[in-house]
Amino acid sequence: MRAFTLIGTAMAALILAGCTGGAKEPTSTTETPTTGQTADFKVALLTPGPVSDAGWSAMAYDGLKAIERDMGAEINNQEAKDTQIKDAMRSYAQKGYRLVFGHGFEYNEPAIEVAKDFPNTIFVSSSGGQTADNVGAFRFYLEQGFYLAGYMAGLSSKSGKVATIGGDDVPSIRSTFKAFKAGAEAAKPGITVIEVFTGSGQDIAKAKQATLGAISEGADFVIHQANAAAQGVFDACKERGVWAFGANLNQNDNPSGVVVASATIVAGPAFLNLAKSVKDGTFKGGIALMGMDQGAIDFVVNPALQDKLSPEVVTAVEETRAKILSGELTVAKDEF
Amino acid sequence: MNDVIQIWQFAIPIALAAVGEVVSQRSGVLNIGLEGTMLGGAFVAAYVGLTTGQPWLGLTAGIVVGLLASLLQAWFVLVRAADQVVAGTAINLLALGVTGTLFRKAFGESGQLLSVPTLPKFDGLDAVMLATPIIAVLAAASLRRTGWGLLTRASGEYPTAVEAEGFSVRRLRLGAMAIGGALAGAAGAYLSVGIVGSFAENMTQGRGFVAIALVTFGRWHPIAAVGAGFLMGGLEWLQFKLQAQGGGQIPFQLLLALPYLAALAVLVVGAKGTRGPAALGQPLQRDA
Repeated sequence: MRAFTLIGTAMAALILAGCTGGAKEPTSTTETPTTGQTADFKVALLTPGPVSDAGWSAMAYDGLKAIERDMGAEINNQEAKDTQIKDAMRSYAQKGYRLVFGHGFEYNEPAIEVAKDFPNTIFVSSSGGQTADNVGAFRFYLEQGFYLAGYMAGLSSKSGKVATIGGDDVPSIRSTFKAFKAGAEAAKPGITVIEVFTGSGQDIAKAKQATLGAISEGADFVIHQANAAAQGVFDACKERGVWAFGANLNQNDNPSGVVVASATIVAGPAFLNLAKSVKDGTFKGGIALMGMDQGAIDFVVNPALQDKLSPEVVTAVEETRAKILSGELTVAKDEF
Repeated sequence: MNDVIQIWQFAIPIALAAVGEVVSQRSGVLNIGLEGTMLGGAFVAAYVGLTTGQPWLGLTAGIVVGLLASLLQAWFVLVRAADQVVAGTAINLLALGVTGTLFRKAFGESGQLLSVPTLPKFDGLDAVMLATPIIAVLAAASLRRTGWGLLTRASGEYPTAVEAEGFSVRRLRLGAMAIGGALAGAAGAYLSVGIVGSFAENMTQGRGFVAIALVTFGRWHPIAAVGAGFLMGGLEWLQFKLQAQGGGQIPFQLLLALPYLAALAVLVVGAKGTRGPAALGQPLQRDA
């Protein structure tokens, strides 16, 4: 019986630990009593993970910092998941934040609900399908970058096997992996795409082990969606002498020296433009698809490793990029 | 053979922490703060390893952090006679907050993918991988065969008898906690400067709690706990291989849970008749 009590307490501790990762930002708001209509322009960001993940959440945080720097806005951010999301949105709205940005599809539905009570606050989420007068969504078309990575991997792979290593299993990650697979198959029909998930974007050791597992099955090009755990993927590739792709941010200069190219989201300008449209009142709800044509998505080949790729491969990838840009080729993206 | 070496390496953090936890629990102290202690060790080891370029210094610093964490906890549970679970939970939350804050202070709010030099390896083996079984055997022998071991075990079974004999239960428990803390610090440090050569917030991801489970799994025996850790590591590697082979349409969440399900099954089937230290988790209140 005693053992059960202990295990129960341990679990409670684990859950507690999971909930307290973020919200460490000091909240120094000079509040005005009336909601909305504040003199200052205040912008808040909600992320699904710590903003120090050097990946998905970090990129949004950099966008928020750009808003602070270029527009003199007052900013605040916190980590919010599941049931915390609505509370966080409400409390920001009550404090007079004009723009509350939720970085993920999971912020779209709560936004619709909370937005009804706070007409003076604009709620925007990354991904998500519902809109209202003061609710919108950005959809980053990262699939385009992953398609090109898959295309390059398919053309360059000698073993005929490539791999995708995922951290958390979320629809946005699944969708990018599908695009990678589509690209690889377009380049080399019948290619095997190995898919392994670790269930965590912070467990570097598991990311490394998952990558070693994929490599031992023959993968010689690996792309990841592991955020803060990505170093584990790169280390495994370095140890076994295979190539990797960076994701979300440009990771070409990773010290492992194995990142041949990165599929990146260039979030800064998108965040700035959004904040400007909110500030001058021109924001209208709706869903914006942010792709390569707006410069929001890029696929950057590592110049230091370009000689490891055959010139024909690089040319073929550039041709495919041109096709995507001209609209001749549309990369599939899941609805979520 | 390569697979075995690899399984061994990835199992070291839980195995090493479990050995320390066995010693601590045999003296009557349940260290729920293992997870936080490991995380602290992982961060400091990565930081020291990165700034000095010496993974050995990182490992040493990780051990020191483990010792400090166990001292802090000892003050709570031995001096203040606080509830051990509450004190351990406090250590976990403290470590999560402090390492996260320091990581952001040192490497920027949006973080970095750190690349820290790792311990040198010979034929895939490094010193910690070799030392872990030796430490387990030493711990088992000392607990079983030495006077210190007898007294430590007695502190966990019937502390008032130990006091009546004129020995200090507090001192014995402090010693056992220090061993547990040092090994947990080393286990966390090995995660960052031994296995991955990097750090991320909350990178221990529950390994401290797994180590606590291994203690029960291994019936409070250091060598059995290490064996159980190796078994868990083997199942984990197996599930990654299965995933990489396509998984036969089994959802990966189920595969990820495989080592834990196996551990649970062994506990249910094999735990009959086992008994932990009788005074485990009970603070010793001196009347005078």
